[in-house]
Amino acid sequence: MRLTTTGVARNFDTSIIGTITTADLPHDERTKRIRFIAPGDVLTDDAMAGYSALLCHDELARDPGVPYVHRLRESDHLRDGDIVVLEGRAALVRSLYRPYELHHHLFVTERCNSNCLMCSQPPKDRDDVEALTERNLELIRLIEPHPPYLTITGGEPTLLGDHLFRLISQLKMSMPETELHMLTNGRTFAWPEYARRFAELEHPKISLGIPLYADYAGAHDHVVQAKGAFDQTVTGFHQAARNGIRLEVRVVLHKLTIPRLAKLVDCIYRNLTFVEHIALMGLEYTGYTPRNIGELWIDPYDYQDVLEEAVEYLVVRNMTVSIYNHQLCVLKPSLWRYARKSISDWKTLYLPECETCSALPACGGLFQWAAKKHSEHIHTITYKKTI
Amino acid sequence: MARTFYPLERFAPAPKAFHLLPFRFTRLSGKELLVNEAGEFLFVPTGTVQSLTDEYLDTDSELYRDLKAKHFLYDASSSPLLDVLATKVRTKFDHITGGTKLHIFVVTLRCEHSCDYCQVSRQTATRGQFDMSTATADRAIAMMMDSPARAVTLEFQGGEPLLAFDVIQYIIPKAKKLALEKGKDLDIVVCTNLACVTDDILHYFRDEGVKVSTSLDGPAFLHNKNRPRPGNDSYEKAIEGIERSRAILGVESVAALMTTTAASLDHAVEIVDEYVRRDFHSIFLRPISPYGFAIKTRHRTGYEMGRFLEFYRQGLAHILKVNRNGYRIAEVYTQILLTKILTPHGTRYVDMQSPAGEAWSVLVYNYDGDVYASDESRMLAEMNDRTFRLGNVHKDTRRTLFTGDPALQMFQASCNQSLAGCSDCAFQSYCAADPVYHYATQGDMYGNRPTSGFCTRNMDVIKQLFSIIEENDRETMRILWSWVTGEPTIREVVECV
Amino acid sequence: MDQPHDAAESGVQQVMVEINLAVISTEALLKTCHWFSRDFVCEIRNRSDQIADVVLTPRGSASASDLSLARGAFTTSAMDFALREKIEAKTSGIRDILLAKAFSESGVLEDAPEGVFGDMVEETKPDGMFKILSNPQR
Repeated sequence: MRLTTTGVARNFDTSIIGTITTADLPHDERTKRIRFIAPGDVLTDDAMAGYSALLCHDELARDPGVPYVHRLRESDHLRDGDIVVLEGRAALVRSLYRPYELHHHLFVTERCNSNCLMCSQPPKDRDDVEALTERNLELIRLIEPHPPYLTITGGEPTLLGDHLFRLISQLKMSMPETELHMLTNGRTFAWPEYARRFAELEHPKISLGIPLYADYAGAHDHVVQAKGAFDQTVTGFHQAARNGIRLEVRVVLHKLTIPRLAKLVDCIYRNLTFVEHIALMGLEYTGYTPRNIGELWIDPYDYQDVLEEAVEYLVVRNMTVSIYNHQLCVLKPSLWRYARKSISDWKTLYLPECETCSALPACGGLFQWAAKKHSEHIHTITYKKTI
Repeated sequence: MARTFYPLERFAPAPKAFHLLPFRFTRLSGKELLVNEAGEFLFVPTGTVQSLTDEYLDTDSELYRDLKAKHFLYDASSSPLLDVLATKVRTKFDHITGGTKLHIFVVTLRCEHSCDYCQVSRQTATRGQFDMSTATADRAIAMMMDSPARAVTLEFQGGEPLLAFDVIQYIIPKAKKLALEKGKDLDIVVCTNLACVTDDILHYFRDEGVKVSTSLDGPAFLHNKNRPRPGNDSYEKAIEGIERSRAILGVESVAALMTTTAASLDHAVEIVDEYVRRDFHSIFLRPISPYGFAIKTRHRTGYEMGRFLEFYRQGLAHILKVNRNGYRIAEVYTQILLTKILTPHGTRYVDMQSPAGEAWSVLVYNYDGDVYASDESRMLAEMNDRTFRLGNVHKDTRRTLFTGDPALQMFQASCNQSLAGCSDCAFQSYCAADPVYHYATQGDMYGNRPTSGFCTRNMDVIKQLFSIIEENDRETMRILWSWVTGEPTIREVVECV
Repeated sequence: MDQPHDAAESGVQQVMVEINLAVISTEALLKTCHWFSRDFVCEIRNRSDQIADVVLTPRGSASASDLSLARGAFTTSAMDFALREKIEAKTSGIRDILLAKAFSESGVLEDAPEGVFGDMVEETKPDGMFKILSNPQR
């Protein structure tokens, strides 16, 4: 599913954010709405007036004098209720929020102070914080209906400084029942002052997802490509816990983390006993990963014993574990109960083997980019019928 | 601007030198067992300690990385994370926070049993003579609620507390009222042999949310031998009492403890089987405490520690076998030690703490208002030794109890970190101090470790457990972990093809 | 190193252990004797400044192999106590710091975070968050 399309923009050179409507609305409901005109439709001047902007698949015959983007390259991904941002200068139409999806993300910056070898969102050293924050504040106010969950992601969200606190405060005000999960490398939380201020936001439903890739500094720092990161991350976990912030550990499973996985889970148990949840995640063939695939690739089928041992290690110690981004056919059956359907709907790919697979309804499938690289052992599972 | 990727060597250069963090060690199972300051352990090849002390170790080896990850050493390439380690050390002592949680009320010394090992009972006393007065009860309740602990447990003991049921009925509402006023949680337990329990008493307990802890020493022949009573039917009474209590209070509200005597030591398997037969899911293989009448009658109840250790070994093996066959039953002594060995936490069990649980974790209010540091301290007083009598509820405040000479003297011998023999013992984090035990058995609170029964017992049991841990049998470890967490063991999912 | 003692000579069951005092301190030796005192009477005879002989006389009955095992165990134990002394010497300072940290009030004895912040944009700002965090004004 696509996120961005382009067209020709007229009558504005700023960013306009709004919720798409594919139907006519009464005049007093048109502010903050973007009227989408489907291929073949033609609207009267009155029907086009009063909206924040217009989006037209075809060419608009006459300039209606309001901001619009027409001659869209694609538009079949746009639906009523989607929140989009129109960028006048770049003539881009970005989808920010789709209510019908299961997983929602609030993207806050491309900056990051780590540079993980397998980063799915390679960082850029461009200060986009001010612009994105203003956009996101508007987005938060527009989101309807309020989702049960929202993930705050980047880049590294804590680099926003006070802007992050503004965003979280806005979320608290606009959608207090929405459970927030923020993906962060946790390093900034090593500063007690920061952890304290974060906790003082007193958002009732927020947790942090922080990755840890080894039980000692050298190996972790190598994976995240930042010296001192391990020390800061572990300290960050502790400062956050001390301030009552809820925490999750994430581990991406690949050739650099699998060899010491048993020791890593022991490290998590001994040092991070307070975490709510541990997410063991499959490698995504996107972002930096293709570049570093030689260092990273190990067929998930080949690490099942290690994974099973690690999961059991945590589960007997009463810790909560989930496995993300793994297909059921490559996972040991004893691990199926921990596997979650974690792939965002628009990213899911199913292979020919999947079509007749008995486990399809329960399986999360693969990422779109897995067409280029996936386990050699994807196969159809057939349940035996008992008579 | 594109970023560069750097190889492992840039982040994990093999350091030229390293420094030690504090640790203790011993030799076990043909290896060396290292234990760090937070009680985390590591088995290493023999000779590692020498290498560490000589600071001569291959810093590019898995062993080096393991030692670093578990806080046995550090080097210039990364932080020793002392604050994280300090937090873990602190966590091991989380039992101290909040002040005394267990408050034992000895409501009467009267009892109709005459057990050999019993420290205190008065069989022929008249009502009132050795019962707690309401005035004393009032003062004791106030003293209990003065504890800073957010949650306290009130435990009725005796003699046989049900013989003074009226005193219990007086205390419970008063204690609850004061707990409410002070915003404290209150748990109430009655330790009783159940021989004289009635349905009325049980209904009262049910209505007040009181739990029952009773004794079951094993099958009939053993239980009755240990606990003589007129009619010689202590066992039958106990079983009847257990069943009636379960019916009225619910199964979770009735617990059983065994007392080990010389007679018990050859019957580990039968005792376990009795607990299984009676649907108990918890059994405590604990040694007899060497106090009170026990010392007087030592020729009948005395036994060598070695026999107890064999009893424990057999008992544990059989309990594990029972678990493997599908019946869930935990052994409490093992559970306590494994909690200390395998988890980041300390224990709430007052007899296995350092600083010792006496006064810090438990206070005993005797029928006459005297306050003792532990149940055993009270038993010593029954033999006219009041060394551990901290004060009296009618004369003292909490402050004077804790700052009086008896308390202060005892506290000096309460930390195994500073006791000879313990201060460099590898098992220090898992073991404890017990000044009362050592005073009673060896004549001084500090004790003499090589001849201490407390030391011999704990060291041997801990070694047994480390043997099991080192073997790392999957099913055994699953069972043991289920005892530690209180959760059921994980089961295999049926394979699909 | 160890000289076997001829039990027949004195008529009493004993075993002797030779201790090199350059390697094993008096303190370590005394600790070893303390632990062995349950089963043996330990007598230390200083042969010279460098060497001590420890005579172990069993309190109960002991076979020749028991005595031989005891000699080995004594030597190992003495070496271990010597090692413990070395470890203590190297770590007592940091142990004091560790315990002080463990039992002090939250935040009072904590180290500031080490290392760089690692974000180019932030580090170029004169009033960047990293600088503020490193120098909190309160």
